Amino acid sequence: MTADIEIRNVSKHFGAMTVLDDLSLFIKAREFIVFLGPSGCGKSTLLRMIAGLETVDTGEIAINNERIDHLPPGKRGIAMVFQSYALYPHMSVRDNMAFGLENIGMPRDLIDARIKESARILEMEHLLERKPGQLSGGQRQRVAIGRAIVKEPKAFLFDEPLSNLDAALRTRTRIELAQLHQRLQSTMIFVTHDQVEAMTLADRIVVMNNRKIEQIGSPMEIYDRPATKFVAGFVGAPAMNFVEAMLDRSSRNATARFADGIAVQTEIASDQTIDGKYTFGIRSEDVRIVPAGQGNADGVVDVLERLGERTLVYARLGDGQQIVGSDAGNSRVAVGDKVGLAFDGRKSHLFGETGRAWHAREV
Amino acid sequence: MRAPAISIKGRAFGDRVLLALVILLSLVMVAPVLWVIGLSLKENAELMANPNSVFHAPYTLKNYVNTIGTSSVFVWVFNSIIVSGGLTLGTLILSSLAGYGFARLNFPGRNVLFVIVLFGLAVPEQAVLVARHQIFSMLNFHNTYHGLILPGLSASFGVFLMTQYFKAIPKELDEAAMLDNASRFRTFWKVLLPLTVPAQATLGIFTFLGAWNDYLWPLISATKKDMYTLTVGMASTQTNFAQSEGIGFLMAQAVFAGAPILIVYLFFQKYIVTAVSGAAVR
Repeated sequence: MTADIEIRNVSKHFGAMTVLDDLSLFIKAREFIVFLGPSGCGKSTLLRMIAGLETVDTGEIAINNERIDHLPPGKRGIAMVFQSYALYPHMSVRDNMAFGLENIGMPRDLIDARIKESARILEMEHLLERKPGQLSGGQRQRVAIGRAIVKEPKAFLFDEPLSNLDAALRTRTRIELAQLHQRLQSTMIFVTHDQVEAMTLADRIVVMNNRKIEQIGSPMEIYDRPATKFVAGFVGAPAMNFVEAMLDRSSRNATARFADGIAVQTEIASDQTIDGKYTFGIRSEDVRIVPAGQGNADGVVDVLERLGERTLVYARLGDGQQIVGSDAGNSRVAVGDKVGLAFDGRKSHLFGETGRAWHAREV
Repeated sequence: MRAPAISIKGRAFGDRVLLALVILLSLVMVAPVLWVIGLSLKENAELMANPNSVFHAPYTLKNYVNTIGTSSVFVWVFNSIIVSGGLTLGTLILSSLAGYGFARLNFPGRNVLFVIVLFGLAVPEQAVLVARHQIFSMLNFHNTYHGLILPGLSASFGVFLMTQYFKAIPKELDEAAMLDNASRFRTFWKVLLPLTVPAQATLGIFTFLGAWNDYLWPLISATKKDMYTLTVGMASTQTNFAQSEGIGFLMAQAVFAGAPILIVYLFFQKYIVTAVSGAAVR
C-alpha cells in the first residue's frame, strides 16, 4: 500500500512564535522524501503534523486526495519511527509489533503472519521474544522499523532515526533503509539534519530553513544548483566557499571581481543578472590547487585535511578570506606553503542580496 | 609491583573495619527487636523477679498462646488487613489516575490544582481531626470500614509521587501508542501504568505500612470492639499494670502486630531500599 501526500498552505504557531509559514508540498507515491534543515527549522514539526501528533493551525494535509488533518494519528494509515525508537519497554519485540494490530481488532493468526513476515524482512526472527532492554541500539532501531512495517501503512515517517547510532551502524542502517524502500515501494518521509543521509537516501530533498521551504529537488539538483545561498552553504561538506564580489556584466558572461582585485570569469549569463551586490560561491572540489601565480588567486595554506582520496586545502587570501580548495590525495602541499587557487568558472555560483542564486548555463 | 599489593592489603583492612562497623550498627538496631522477642518468650513472674532471666532458659510460648487465645485478635487482624489493603489499593488507583492526569492531560486550572494537592502535604492530620470526626459522625461513617479507609485516600504524597513518575516517562511512548491506534485509557493501562510498577510498589508499601501502624484515627473512628484495628485492639488489652504485670504478654502482642510488616519488608525489600534512597528502579 502506498500513497501520495499533499500539504497545502500549512501554517503552525506555538503561541506567538510561527514555526511553519504557509508551506505547500506534494509528495508522490513511492517517493523517498527527506526533510533537511538545521535545528528549529520546522522539519520535525511538519512531520509530526503529517503524523497527527501536532495540530494544523491553517491549511490542509491530504493523503490520496483525502483530507486527514482532522483525523487522529491512528486513523491516518501512517507509521512512524521515532528518534528514540519509543519501543514499549515492558513488552517483548513480538508484543511491540502486535500492539498496533491488536488495537484495530485484527485476528491473532493474521497478526502472527504479519509479524513473521516483517521479522523475516528485517532478519530479526531471533529477537521476537526479547524485550527492548535486551537489545543493542541497532536492534532496537530494527524493531522500531519492524513495528512500522507490520502495519502496512500508506506512508512511513522517520524522525531522525539514525541519530542515536554510532557512525558505522548509521552507514549500514542507511543502506538497509534504502534497500527497504526499494523492496516495499512505499512513500517514505525522512527527517534529518545530516546532509549525507539526505543525499544518499532521498529521491527528492526538501531543504527547510526559518519556517519555510528553501528548495525542493533531487540530491544532485540541490548540490549543483542550490536555489539560495542558505542551501548552497548548508548542503555539502566542507561548506561552499563564499566571497563578496562585484559583478562585471560588460561581456556575455559575468565576471566576479573580489575586493582585492581577483577576477573570476563565470559562465553565468550577464543578462540574467541584476544590479546589486553579489556573493560569489564555489565548492571546494571546483577550486584546484596549482603552483603560486598560476591560478585566479594566491593563498597561504592554513590547514590541510587529508581525506584519503583527496586533500582539502584551507588557504588564506591576501585580504584574510579563507578558501577551501581540493588537491590530490597524495598532495605534497604543506601548511605555510604559498599556493595558487584555480576557480572553475563553469561551476561557480552567484548569490544576490536576497540569497537568490544564479548558476552557469546548463550544458 | 609492590604498590598494588600494599593497596589491596590496605583495602582489605578498610573493608574489615567497615564490616565491623556495619555489624556493630546492625546490633544496635536489632537489639531492641531481639529484646522484645526475648521478653515475649518469658513467664511474667520470672521477668518480675529478674529481668536478666531473658538471657537464659526456660522459654515459653504461653504469651503467644494467650494472645491468640484472645478471640478478638483475629478480628482485629482481619480489620487491619481490610483497612490497610483497601487503603493501599484505593491510594494506588487514585494516585495513578491523578498522577497521569497531572502529568499528561491539559485542563484548565491544572497547575493551581496541583499546588493545592501539594499543600495537602503540609497539613498535619491533627489539624483536621475534629472537623473530620464531626463530618464522619454526621454521615454515620464511624465504626465502618469506609470510615477507616476514606481519610487515607486523600494521599497528597501518592499523587505527587505518581505525577513525577509519569512525567519522567518519555512522551514518545504515548505518541507511539496514539499512532498504534490505542485509546487514551488503553495507552494508560497497557503502556504507561506497567512502567510505573516500581513507583506503585514504593507507594503501596509505604501506604500499607502507614495504615497498618496507624493508631490515631482508628482510635477515634472505631469505638466498637469488633471494628478495632490491630493497633487499637492491642492497646485496649493493656491494663494499667501491663508494664509491671504483663510485660511478656505485651511483647508477644508487639511481635504479633509486627509480623505482617516484617513479611512485607522481606518480600518488597528491593523497592523499600529504592524508595528510601530516592533512586528509581528501572
